[in-house]
Amino acid sequence: MLDTNEKLPRNLRESNRDNRPSTLLLLAGVVALAFVALPIFYLFRLAKRSDVETLTLLIFRAKTAEIIFTTISLATLVSLFATVLGLTLAWTLHNVKIPRNNLFRALVMIPIAIPSYIYAYCWLSLEALPRGYFSALIVLTLATTPYIILATFSAFSRIDLAQLEVAQTLGDNPLRLFTRVIFPQIRNTILAGSLLVTLYVLSDFGAVSLLGVDTLTRAIQNTYQGSYDRSSAAVLAIILLILSALVIFRENLWRNESYHTITSSSITKAGKKYTQRRVRILASTLIVAYILVALLLPMSLLIQRFVTRERALDLSNLFNVTSSTIVVSAIGAVLAIAISIPLALLSLTGSRLGKFAEWGVFLVHALPGIVMGLALVSFGAQFSFIYQTLILLAIAYSILFLARSVGFISSSISRVPKNLEEISSTLGKNKRETFFRVTLPLALPGILSGALLIFLSAMKELPATLMLRPTGFETLATEIWSSANIFRFSEAAPYALLLVIFAAIPAFLISRPDRQNSNRGEIS
Amino acid sequence: MTSLELSELSVTFGSTPALSSLSLNVKSGDFAAILGPSGCGKTTLLRAIAGLVTPNSGAIRFDKKLVSVSSLVLPAHKRNVGYLPQEAGLFPHLTVGENVGFGLSAGSRKIKNSERNERIREMLDLVGLIKLIDRKPHQLSGGQQTRVALARALAIQPAIVLLDEPFSNLDYALRVDVSEEVIALLKKSKTTSLMVTHDREEALVSADIIALMSHGTIVQSGTPQSIYMGPQSAEMAQSTGDIVQISAQRRPDGTVVSVLHPQPAQFDARSELGALLIRPEEIRIHDTDKNGSYQRATVSRVKYYGHDAMVELSLPGVGSSEQIPLLARVAGPVEYAVGETVYIEHHGPIRWVSKKVTDR
Repeated sequence: MLDTNEKLPRNLRESNRDNRPSTLLLLAGVVALAFVALPIFYLFRLAKRSDVETLTLLIFRAKTAEIIFTTISLATLVSLFATVLGLTLAWTLHNVKIPRNNLFRALVMIPIAIPSYIYAYCWLSLEALPRGYFSALIVLTLATTPYIILATFSAFSRIDLAQLEVAQTLGDNPLRLFTRVIFPQIRNTILAGSLLVTLYVLSDFGAVSLLGVDTLTRAIQNTYQGSYDRSSAAVLAIILLILSALVIFRENLWRNESYHTITSSSITKAGKKYTQRRVRILASTLIVAYILVALLLPMSLLIQRFVTRERALDLSNLFNVTSSTIVVSAIGAVLAIAISIPLALLSLTGSRLGKFAEWGVFLVHALPGIVMGLALVSFGAQFSFIYQTLILLAIAYSILFLARSVGFISSSISRVPKNLEEISSTLGKNKRETFFRVTLPLALPGILSGALLIFLSAMKELPATLMLRPTGFETLATEIWSSANIFRFSEAAPYALLLVIFAAIPAFLISRPDRQNSNRGEIS
Repeated sequence: MTSLELSELSVTFGSTPALSSLSLNVKSGDFAAILGPSGCGKTTLLRAIAGLVTPNSGAIRFDKKLVSVSSLVLPAHKRNVGYLPQEAGLFPHLTVGENVGFGLSAGSRKIKNSERNERIREMLDLVGLIKLIDRKPHQLSGGQQTRVALARALAIQPAIVLLDEPFSNLDYALRVDVSEEVIALLKKSKTTSLMVTHDREEALVSADIIALMSHGTIVQSGTPQSIYMGPQSAEMAQSTGDIVQISAQRRPDGTVVSVLHPQPAQFDARSELGALLIRPEEIRIHDTDKNGSYQRATVSRVKYYGHDAMVELSLPGVGSSEQIPLLARVAGPVEYAVGETVYIEHHGPIRWVSKKVTDR
C-alpha cells in the first residue's frame, strides 16, 4: 500500500489532534473556569475559619434542623403545587378550544416577570392572611407556576399530532393517550421545570424574608447581618449549596433518554381540541381565575398603591435607579455571555477540560444568590479595590446566571447543522474561520435572546445585590425591598411597576411559541 | 486535473466497520459513480476522501500525493475538494452570491475583491442562476439550491468533486434534468468527480466508470457496459439491473448445459455445477417453435410498464413437477395472456457463475 521509500508530505497531521481544543479556546476556558471556581473557593475558605466548637453548635442545634426542614418542605411543596397547576393550565390551553387563545397564552406567561418579592409585597399589602409558612407557600407557587407552563407548552407543541391520531385509532381513550403517549414525551420537560422551581424556592430570599419564614437563605442573611459572623453564615451557605446540588443530581438521575423521533419538518401541530361546552366553561374559568390572581390582582394593587401614594414621585431618583440597574445588569449579561461561550465550546468538544467545565457549570447552577453574595464579599475583603464596585456586582450576576447562559449558548450552537460546518471546511475554512463565519452567525439569534433574558434576570436579582452593591447604589430590586421591608408599600410601588414592565418584555417574547427555541434557558 | 487513488482504506465507527480495505482508482477527469445499497458505506467513503472522516488505515492519494495515510491526514480545509452533500447545505444566513464566494477568501485562496466578484458571477452564469445572486437560500427551489451548491463547490476550482446523492431530494422530473445538467457541467470542466448513488440508471447513464460497493468495499469496477454485461456475481448483476439465475452445468470442454441450452450429449460426470445469469432482455419470446430449437414455457404473469413489459414465465424443469421461473422483457404492447404457451430462446452471452448463489 505504501512504498517504504515514499516521502510523507509535510502538511499531513496526526488526525486525533483535530478534536483537541485550540490554544485560544483552552486559554479562554481556563479564565472562564477561574470565574466559576471563584465563589466556591472563597465560600469554603470563609467556612474554614469557623472553629469546631461553634460549628458543632451551629450545625447540631435544633433551630438549624428546623430551618433545613422548613426549606426542604417549602421547596418540595411549592414544586409539587406549581407542577400540578402549571401542567393543568398548559394542558388546558393547548387542548381546549378557548376564544382568544393567543391572548390567554401571553397573559399566563407574564407572571414570569413578577419576582417573588413583589408577589410577597402585594400579598402583605392585601392583609388577607398573616405572614408565615402558608402565605409563603401561596406566594411562591404563584411566582413559579409560569416556569412549568412555559416548559410544558413547548413540550406539548412538539408532540406530533400523527402519533396521537394513530394512538386513538389503536383504541386509546384520552386518559390512556395521556399516560402512554403524551406523558413519556414530556416527562423530561416536566422534570426540568420542577427542578427550576425547586432551585428557585431554595434560593429565594425576598419572599421568605418579607413573609417572615425562616429558611436557609434568611438564616444566612440574618447570621451575616446580625452578628457579622461570616464563617457561620458560610457554613449555612454550604448546606444550602449541597441541598441545591442534590436536587440537580436527583433530576439528572430521573431523567430518561429523550425522544428524538420527530425529525420530519411537516409535523402537524394543530391538534384536535375539546369543544364541549362544559369543558370549555370549566377551562376558561380556571384560566381566568389564574390570570386574575397571578397577574391582575398584583398589578392592580401596585397601580392602586402608586396612585394613592402620599409622597410625590421622586423622578430623579427613579431615573437614577433605573439607569444604574440597566448598566450593571447589562455588564453582567455581557460578561455572562463572554464567559459562557468558551465554556459551552469546551463542553461540546468532549475533552477532559470540557468535562471539567460541565462540572463547574453544574456547581454554579446550584449557587443561590445569597451564597454568591457571601462568597464574593469574602473575595472582596481580600481584594479591597474591587469590593463594593459595580464590577464585582456584575461578576456576581454573570456567575449566578452562568448555567442558563451556557445552556442557551450550547443549545444554540449545537442546533447549527453539522453539515454546514463540514461544507465550510471543504471550502477551505479552518476551525476558527468556520466558527466565526458559519457557527456564530447562525447561533447568534439564540445567544442574543439568551443575553436579553440574563439581563432581565439580573435586573430582578435581590440577595446578592443587597450584599454586594456599592454604598449608596440602589437597583430597582433593592429599592422595592427596602421600602417593602419596612412596610412602606406606596413608596415601593413605582419601582415595582417599572421592574414588572421591563421584565414583561422577554416574558411576552418567549410566550410566543414561534420564538421558543429552548427549554433549558428560562428567565427568572 | 487530478487522479484519485484509494488503497486498502478502512474506517470503523466504534466497533462497526464502515469501510473495509477498499481500493479504487479514478483517472484524472473521469466521472465515477459508486453504486450500492443504502448502508454499504458510500457516504463514509466520500467523507473520508473529503477529510471529514479519519480512516483507521489505508491511504488516499490525489495525483499520487498522499493526503491520508493511516492516522496522518491532511485536514479537510486543505484538501481543495468540492463536496455536494445530499441536502444542498447552503449557508442560510448568506445570499446566493455570498454562498458561492464563501470559499474564495480563505488561506492560500486569498484573492482580490474584484476578482472574487467576477468568479462568483462566472460560476452563477455557468449554472444559469445569475439573476438570483441576491436571494437567500430559503427563497430557492430544490433544484436551484442544488445548482447553487454546485457553483459554490466549483468556485474554488476543486481538484476533485464529490457528490453524495445530490439529486435524491428532487422530484423525479426535475431530478433527471438537474442531474444531466450538473453532470454535463462537471464533464465539460474535466473535473475528476465521484458520485455516490443508489439509482442504477443514473449511474449507468452518467458515469465513465462505475464501482459497485457492498459491505464497505468495492466489489467490481469498470465501464458501465462492462459492469452491466459482465457481472462477477448474481448480487453485482442485481445492482445494475434485473437478473434471472438458472442452474446449469459446465462440461470439461467449456460448453454449458441448462434448460435453455440443451446439448445432445446430456451428461458428463466431470461437469461442474453452477448457474447462469440472464438479463430479461436477452430472452426472446416466439409464438411457434419454428426450427425446433426453442423451449416451451407458460406465461404466469405480465407486468406492464408502458414503454416495455416484464413477462414472467415458467419452464418445465428436469423433474416432472419442477418449474423454473424466468423473466423476459418485451418492448411495446404485449399480447400474451396468462396461461398461454410460448416458445423462448436465450440470445446473449453465457454468464457462468460457479456456484448458484442462494441470495434470491
